[in-house]
Amino acid sequence: MTATTPSALATGSQASWRRWLRRHGWTFGVWILFIALIAYYATLIPKFGSFQVASIVNNGSPLVFLAAAQAVIVIAGGIDLGVGGMLVLTSVTAARFMEDQPFGATIMIALLIIAAAVAINAVVGWVIDRSKVPDIVITLGSLYFFQGLALAMLPNPGGGTSEGFRWIFTGSKSGIGSNPWPVMVLITITILALGWWMGKTHSGLSLYAVGSNKTAAYLSGIRAARVKIISYAVGGGLAAMAGLANTAIAGRGNANIVGGNLTLKSVAAIVLGGVALTGGIGSVIAVVPAGLILFFLNPILSAMGIDPNRAQVIQGVLIVLVMMVTGLIEWRRRRRS
Amino acid sequence: MTDEKQALLTARDVAKRFGSVVALRSANLTVRPGEIHALLGANGAGKSTLVKILSAVISSDSGSISVHGREASLRKPTDATGAGIATVFQDPALVPNLTLAQNLRISHLEEADVMPWLEQMGLGHIDLDLMVTDVPLAYQRLLDLSRALARDPQLLMLDEITAALTTDQAQYVFDVMRDWKDRGRSVLFISHRLSEVLELCDQATILRNGVDVAHLELAGVGEDRLVTAMLGEELVEHRGDETVEEPDAPEATVLDSSEPVVLEGRDLHLRDKVNGISFELRRGEILGLTALEGQGQDQLFQILSGDHRPSSGELLVNGTKLNARSPYDAIRRGLVLVPADRQLALLPQRSVRENMATPLYNRPSRWFTLARDESARVDRAVDRLDIDVRAGSQAQRLSGGNQQKVTIGRWLAAGFDTLLCFDPTRGIDIQTKAQIYELLKELAASGASVVLYTSELREIPLVCDRVLVLYNGRIVHEQAASTTSEEGLLSAAHGLGEEAG
Repeated sequence: MTATTPSALATGSQASWRRWLRRHGWTFGVWILFIALIAYYATLIPKFGSFQVASIVNNGSPLVFLAAAQAVIVIAGGIDLGVGGMLVLTSVTAARFMEDQPFGATIMIALLIIAAAVAINAVVGWVIDRSKVPDIVITLGSLYFFQGLALAMLPNPGGGTSEGFRWIFTGSKSGIGSNPWPVMVLITITILALGWWMGKTHSGLSLYAVGSNKTAAYLSGIRAARVKIISYAVGGGLAAMAGLANTAIAGRGNANIVGGNLTLKSVAAIVLGGVALTGGIGSVIAVVPAGLILFFLNPILSAMGIDPNRAQVIQGVLIVLVMMVTGLIEWRRRRRS
Repeated sequence: MTDEKQALLTARDVAKRFGSVVALRSANLTVRPGEIHALLGANGAGKSTLVKILSAVISSDSGSISVHGREASLRKPTDATGAGIATVFQDPALVPNLTLAQNLRISHLEEADVMPWLEQMGLGHIDLDLMVTDVPLAYQRLLDLSRALARDPQLLMLDEITAALTTDQAQYVFDVMRDWKDRGRSVLFISHRLSEVLELCDQATILRNGVDVAHLELAGVGEDRLVTAMLGEELVEHRGDETVEEPDAPEATVLDSSEPVVLEGRDLHLRDKVNGISFELRRGEILGLTALEGQGQDQLFQILSGDHRPSSGELLVNGTKLNARSPYDAIRRGLVLVPADRQLALLPQRSVRENMATPLYNRPSRWFTLARDESARVDRAVDRLDIDVRAGSQAQRLSGGNQQKVTIGRWLAAGFDTLLCFDPTRGIDIQTKAQIYELLKELAASGASVVLYTSELREIPLVCDRVLVLYNGRIVHEQAASTTSEEGLLSAAHGLGEEAG
């Protein structure tokens, strides 16, 4: 049979860098924006060194983990308003049980908390699947549930953790220092593992499949119920990482942190990171700089001499602008095809 | 009936209903090894439902399915593939935001499994790192087919696979089907193109209204026999010796050609779905339109109702070009749509009166209250349509027929020139149907024009003045409605009147 593939579809029909840019352009762009903002920040303040870098990376890490949690769930076609509550709950639980414990014990406690968070959020995913109630409703419930549980766990701010545990998330035994490396390594490993899982494995690709087109995924033999549960479980684990980072940074727990605000920040971060709220599109790799940018806007704006109260206005405008740019790109692409 | 032991697949008394709609009443199907088996029937006969049941996408309400003589329990799609049944569905089943290679991975297939098949279908060099959204639909179908073949199924089910393919691509598919048969495997083939069916298939099972009405050996059978079997035996009796094809249909001259043309399409195109449609609609005319599913009628109505701009060609309303950005523009020019799915048109939780008044909200001066005369217009429309308003506080509580009256009625209240009806009587009781026919005729008599797409061929001589038949996005047949026969229209709709493609 003399068969030929149409040239537009053949291997090598499109320059590889163009395809790479088209597919990963957003991720690339967010990283560039992040680096540009850092460079700009460096010119604004008198001294820019490893202390400033460490302060941004360390203090921004809870939002990065939380945004990664939200990204996994949103890519699979859900949305979890409860991640912020999970952060608060895991953070105060860690502070309560880690107080005055040796390093080894705090690590064990941390692992147990992550396992518990995975299990609890898996149940949330299961409830959503079974009840057919929209994600946003069930997780609004889980947000309040986690926040309330956190207050019961630790009514007043307090608790503590081991110095070694603080070092893991802050690079310093006191929680303040100029060593950004431990948390950078932790974030890099976590995100690369997630990226590999979601891009290369059957179970990870299933998240994109279900989020992108549930019917087509079902017809390909994917079980949507299982995917929903897996995405919520992984999201729960990542939210627990965020909570642990929070405890390590503060050195104690505080159940009065408003989880709902943190949830909204996680949503803002994934939107900036190019994850489509409709599901199926986006990458956890882009969520890292997006989360850091959102965290980092405050110090930049204050270094520029802008009233912190107005900083929120700028954050809001930024998110809308970013979404408009996305919409414009998408619209142009559709018009061309 | 065949001995079940030698049958590859047997479906017995399979039934399925969706709410109040019966999709399958009692369907029987036997496919033997080494045969290409056609599953035929008119629109809504239940073919796709049966395919979905056999591939375990949906479950049947009753009946049994056995594979190689053993009862098979088909609960999820992997059960069907496990039983040796692989399906290429009418809608592509590739996940859009993944690459082709990733699509293979989520269905647990390796590149090496599909590559031989892709080569055979002329796609040997296709770049599997392409996103599905960048691959044209026709190639997606071939990829879907390769994916099904890679599972090495005993039974391959193809639901309307050729509809999106070009002639040479279809030829690849036919070669694969013959190849599959030579291996002693079987194919279940669904196609509206009867010439393909007769060329390829050994056996046919014909469904009508959810029941298998005929099992035919296809050797020596003509197209006319298939058409009559699909339509129903009772029609055969008073058909006499007429041939099915009516190539020389009389030109449509029912209407007084002095009436002005209110709507004119000139060489309309939309993607590859509408391929050059030109027509004229005169004042007071009811223009019927019919086609098999997916022949471009949906897209044509999108153009007419202002939902989508044609990619080329133009639409003239009262002689001036309509450049609609949204239905709002079409409505302002008097072109209004009654869609097939009433859920698209109604505000289900709101009252009948509010639903009827919706188009009136458009005028800014009416944003706060409805003026008394408009309120009266709504009342008159309710009266005229004889709408049962006892359940009027929420439109969703009305019967389907009354809901459809509301969707027509709101245009009566708002005023219009041309009514575009897309299958308005789908799933409506006979009495309401008759009322809707009467209404359309009355409207036409009072000077309105109507474009009526219907999948129910018997409606055409009852309601329309003239009928156009679409096939492959083109008008293939035009006739005065009073002279039409169901067989003639069905043949034309199958593209038999003239060679298309």
